[in-house]
Parts: sequence; structure tokens; C-alpha cells
Amino acid sequence: MNEWIRTFRQGIGIENPLTVLMIGLCATLAVSTQVQNAAFMGLAVVFVVTMSNILVSVFRNAIPSEVRIPIFIVVIASFVTIVDLVMKAFVPGIYQVLGIWIPLIVVNCMILGRAEAFAYHNKPLLAIADGLGMGIGFWLVMVVLATIRELFGTGAIVWFETTLVRLPAGYAPPSVLLLFPGAFLVFGFMIAGTRWLGERSAARAEARACRR
Amino acid sequence: MSTISQFALLFIGGALINNILLTRFIGLCPFFGVSGNMETSMGMSLAVVFVMMMASTATWVVWEFVLAPLGVGEFLYIPAFILIIASLVQFVEMYLRKSSPVLYRAMGIFLPLITTNCAVLATATEAAKPGFFKLNIPVGASLSLGQALIYTLGVSIGFGFALITFAALRERLELASVPRAFRGSPIAFITAGLLSLAYVGFSGWFGL
Repeated sequence: MNEWIRTFRQGIGIENPLTVLMIGLCATLAVSTQVQNAAFMGLAVVFVVTMSNILVSVFRNAIPSEVRIPIFIVVIASFVTIVDLVMKAFVPGIYQVLGIWIPLIVVNCMILGRAEAFAYHNKPLLAIADGLGMGIGFWLVMVVLATIRELFGTGAIVWFETTLVRLPAGYAPPSVLLLFPGAFLVFGFMIAGTRWLGERSAARAEARACRR
Repeated sequence: MSTISQFALLFIGGALINNILLTRFIGLCPFFGVSGNMETSMGMSLAVVFVMMMASTATWVVWEFVLAPLGVGEFLYIPAFILIIASLVQFVEMYLRKSSPVLYRAMGIFLPLITTNCAVLATATEAAKPGFFKLNIPVGASLSLGQALIYTLGVSIGFGFALITFAALRERLELASVPRAFRGSPIAFITAGLLSLAYVGFSGWFGL
């Protein structure tokens, strides 16, 4: 159980796919203009990465290593098709906005990377932990990025036509945050921020160890 | 609208106004991965133009003559397209290694990398499957093969152009003194943000 929790936490923290490993960036930057879209996109990714991890891990002894990559791709593509059809049926508005990004989950390097690096060598239970951890880590960063961009770019956060938060009326939102340069700029500052925090806590731990 | 001006719009719209890297964020992995120096980014751009053209042709033909007539396109297009692209790239790599060592040396090592590049799948899907093409150009219900190829050519050249510009910027960035927390990838993202600010200027040209 301890190992399960450790694997789960790794994806959220020290091996976060976006801020640390920096894989699967494309979708994150593109759909982070609205919290609502980012949340659904993130959910789709959590589902696909967890399910493909489970399937790959269950069949890991049956998959010959020479043709493993095409097999992983077919597994991932089937789960993406499920997401594609489900979203088209139940949230058509969001499906319209996400558009090409749904089929592009297939080539999200993070999902193939987890199948190859983790699920292919581990038991199904651990693979679930890894898939959930990585997926939730991905989801969190994406939603934080979208929150910053939507809140400061439009002055309010809207979730299915209900306004959740609104900044005071005198605030003039800079539209550059919503345009495409905003994604690069905010994300650059976000990585710098997490790195600075990481370095600071490492330095503090070192100082504490020296004093003892 | 005459065919020529439609083709010109498709090309410019794909290359500049809807630049695939800097305004749509598709294919960012190689954008940050291989933009360290000019030479590799040129090889990569060449390989992307080559592979994208072939991938779009293949997926267009498969959609038009296999998936759409059989009525299975709606739920088989994702696995079908990715498998077509992956096997095509493998085949081209083998062929180039045998037949043209010069070309293979220029772009051979990038070919396997491109298989899982989202830019190729995205462009091929937009070119082949109706409903994904979002540019404001009157092209009818779906693109013809000629339109699809011109659009793909525009997109891939826009990709190469953005990649090479960014590589040139990053080579100079190596010499700059950057605050410690920003060194490496954070400053690369901020540079990309400033570069993509230039592309904001293109939006709205020709009503696109």
C-alpha cells in the first residue's frame, strides 16, 4: 500500500509530467483558455492514461517487445475513440471547442511514455496508481494554468454560463493572456516558479541538515 | 472564388495566419526538443515537410476510398490514421536508408521521432476528415486532394519557418545571462511567447 501511495504521489509532485518532465505540452497550452475546457480535456487524459496503463499492464507478458509500440498505440487509440464518441454524445458544446485536440490525445507523448516506461514493467495495481497520479498531476497543472489565464484575461471565471468568480469592476483585463502568446508566457513563469520553490525547499532542507 | 486565390489563401492561412506551432500549439515537443541548434532544426523541418505531405495524401485517399464508403470512418479514423502514418514513416525510413544515403543523413534520424508528432496527425486529420478544417475559407463540405495538399504544404512550411527562427533565437540565448530559476526551459517558453506575439499581427489578414 505504501508503494501504491508513493507511486501515486510521484506523478503529482516530483515527476509531474508537465512542470518537471515537460511532455504532452501541446494540448495543455492550447485548451487552457477556459477552465471548463481544460477540466474536460484533463479528465479525458486521466481516463485514457489510466485505462491504457491497466490494459498494457495486464497483458504485459503477452505483448512481445518487438511490436510493443504499435500495440500500445492501438490500445491508446481505442480508448481515445471511446472518449471521442462519449464527449460528442454528452457534451457536444465542449466537443466542438476541443475539436482536433481529442484525436490528438493519441499522440500525447505522456500516455505512450507511461505505457512504455511504467505499465509495461509493473503490476496492474501499481499501473493504476501511476496512471491516476500522472493524470491528476497533468489535470492540476492544466487547470491552474487555465484559471490564471481565464481569471486575469477576462476578469471572471465562467463554468457552464454561471460566473464563479469575478474581479472588481475597475479591472481592465489584458487580452494578451487569452491570445496564444499568453499561454507560453504564463507557463514559462509557472515552471520558473515551481523550480524556484523546489530549489528553495532543497536549500532549506540542506541548511537544517547542516545545523544538526 | 477562383482556384488560384483559394490555393493562395489555403497556403498563407496554413503557414502564417494559423501557424501550427506558435498560434495553435500543435507539435511543441520537437519545437522545444530539437531547437537547440540550426542544423538539426533544418533537418527536422525538411523531414516534417516530406512526411506531412505523404501522410496527408495517404489519409485523404484512405478516408475517401475506404473509410467513408464503408461507413466506418466515424469510429475508426483515429486508429486508422495513426497506424497509416506510423507504418508509412517506417517504410520511408527503410527506403531512404537503402536508396538515398544523402537524404537519409539529412533527415533519417528525425523520421521515427516524427511518427508520434501531433502536427502530422493533426494536419492529416484536418485534410482528410470533414469537420475538422476550421479556417474561414469557402472550400465546400470537404477538401479536395489538391486543396488538402496545398494546405498541408503551407502548414509544414510554416512549421519549418517557426522552428528555424526559434532555433536561431535560442543559439543567441545561450550567451545571455539569465536569472537562475529561468535558465533552460522557462526562458525558452518566454522567448516562444514573444515570438508568437509577432504572429498575433497576422491574425485577421484576408478575413482569416
